[in-house]
Amino acid sequence: MLARLAWAVYLTVLLAWLVFPIALVVIASFEGDLQVSLALRQFSLDAYRAIPRGYWESFRFTVSVAALATVCSLLISVPAAWGLVRGRLPERGVVSNLVLLPDIVPQLILGIALLTVFIPLRLSNSFAGVLLALMAMNLAMGLRFSEALLSGMAEEYEQAAQSLGAGRLTVFRLIVLPMIAPGVAIAALFLFMQNLIVFELLFFIAGPRATPISILLFSDIIDRGVVPQAIGMSALLVYAGIAFYAAVAMLLGPKYLAGTLMSRKG
Amino acid sequence: MDAHPPGPSQSVSLRHVLKKFGSFLAVRDLSLEVAAGEFVTLLGPSGCGKTTTLRMIAGLMPQDGGEIRFGDRRVDLLPANRRNVGLVFQNYALFPHMTVAENIGFGLRMRGWPKAKQQAQIDRYLALVRLEGLAGRKPGQLSGGQQQRVAVARALAFGPDLVLLDEPLSNLDAKLREQVRIDLRAIQREARQTTLFVTHDQVEALAMSDRVVLMNQGEIEQIGAPQELYTRPATEFAARFIGANNLIAGQLVEGGEAPRVAIEGQDIALRASSSAGAVGQTVWLCVRPEQVKISAIAEGPPDAVAARLTDMIFQGGTMLVEAAAPGIGKLRAECPPAEVAQLRPGDAVMLSLDGGHVVAR
Ligand SMILES: Nc1ncnc2c1ncn2[C@@H]1O[C@H](COP(=O)(O)OP(=O)(O)O)[C@@H](O)[C@H]1O
Ligand SMILES: [Mg+2]
Repeated sequence: MLARLAWAVYLTVLLAWLVFPIALVVIASFEGDLQVSLALRQFSLDAYRAIPRGYWESFRFTVSVAALATVCSLLISVPAAWGLVRGRLPERGVVSNLVLLPDIVPQLILGIALLTVFIPLRLSNSFAGVLLALMAMNLAMGLRFSEALLSGMAEEYEQAAQSLGAGRLTVFRLIVLPMIAPGVAIAALFLFMQNLIVFELLFFIAGPRATPISILLFSDIIDRGVVPQAIGMSALLVYAGIAFYAAVAMLLGPKYLAGTLMSRKG
Repeated sequence: MDAHPPGPSQSVSLRHVLKKFGSFLAVRDLSLEVAAGEFVTLLGPSGCGKTTTLRMIAGLMPQDGGEIRFGDRRVDLLPANRRNVGLVFQNYALFPHMTVAENIGFGLRMRGWPKAKQQAQIDRYLALVRLEGLAGRKPGQLSGGQQQRVAVARALAFGPDLVLLDEPLSNLDAKLREQVRIDLRAIQREARQTTLFVTHDQVEALAMSDRVVLMNQGEIEQIGAPQELYTRPATEFAARFIGANNLIAGQLVEGGEAPRVAIEGQDIALRASSSAGAVGQTVWLCVRPEQVKISAIAEGPPDAVAARLTDMIFQGGTMLVEAAAPGIGKLRAECPPAEVAQLRPGDAVMLSLDGGHVVAR
């Protein structure tokens, strides 16, 4: 009994700790200024109304580049992982280690490294540059995610399809993709969320013509303090994340989001 | 793409097929002819190379030597998807995201059959495996036995030259396994489908096959009809692997039509009915438990062996009797329970061991 109570308290504290900062931002966004309080004393949409046009443009930029990077990197990394896992290529070990690099190297350093390449190519301060930088990061994660998904899927399904007459591409399209689709959708969710708020990586690559919202918020808050429109925009980022999560959840059905996916039997 | 009509399928021929894993020879110089419409079983202990052989035939693993033909068509250089082989995996490997009908129709779809013809064929095979009502189900909603039948239907429906089954019954419980054995054989006969079946279960192999290929350590030990394998095993391995057998050490003293074996440590020579050895050779005399005759001590024939009963196990239709014979060792007999109703463990008896089969030792 006591153990159950302790467990309940533990869970509540854990959840509170997870939810509290987000709730704080969302509530503050309806009050017009940031108070450390969970009580919504006055309801106002002032914070949202105060969001200037520059913010909206940056928000649109961020969401579209984040989504595009997610899609592009998965389009590349899923087939690549399939080739690596099933082809039993000798390169697999090398590639698997190489793609860890973006995670081992601090993002800021990766950003600087990319900048030295981007400047002569006129890619810094551009949509394409930000896209490529995000993809460098996403490919690594996408590849490892897909490798894990494919290693967890018995090869027999593919061999069965093959012996029934399916060529390589057909096997990939009709068997592999549908079977790992739920896992890929969850990978997409992770990548998109990460892209939405990535900061260090883009710190030097971004510029006036390509400004992710995280960097815009950073410079505004440094210059002018926690202005209401910053809170309003932060809340919007939370909504974008929740919307994407909800879309994935509806697509897959709730059972997949309970963390059971990776261990799901084929 | 040609719409390959289902019908009498091809003969299959393996010649000197070889597979190495590193320096380990998993399959060594395997040659085998399977006639069109024949049901042949690869039987052998786990690890003897059965699955490896099947995978080479299916094209899922390249062989390191030899050639494979379906009819007069050489297939070993073709990729798996162009060999026209139906494959049933041990765990069935049904596509979980497709319905039963889509699973069965997959091979037809890959061959570009028109929709209406596909549907007719799917219906035909659903009926053949008696799953008519379940076309719209997903594999996850089926029992193990139903999944097994979908896997069989999927492997047969597109009219393969050859069907390969890798221990397809081992995931079924004992009762169901017996039923499916019969069903599977009936389906295979009706479709006149050349079939290569893999099992490590000798009962299954004897019950289902036209011919059995007994394998050991990557090599063929013996090929024969089930009865032949049972009554005249060619080697000690075959004699020990198939069925229960009493192996009695001796020396072949007469060959030909009426072989006789002098039993080691005993002053008797027993008559055998068949022999796979040469005169003078040290041999095993193999006597099946059901060939052993038990009689009370006074009534024993002159060349019977004296023994003492150690155990009697009632098995329903028969009684399994264990006895210890001095100088020979433990012997097993199987007989109708009524014949040994008067006997108890500890009794002295005479065992008549005539009519056995001789293999080299
Ligand atoms: N991919 C592989 N790599 C290395 N050794 C293997 C591989 N596949 C099978 N073997 C070995 O080859 C032998 C035959 O295996 P297999 O054909 O699966 O046996 P069976 O199906 O008769 O039980 C075994 O000793 C097994 O360990
Ligand atoms: Mg096997």
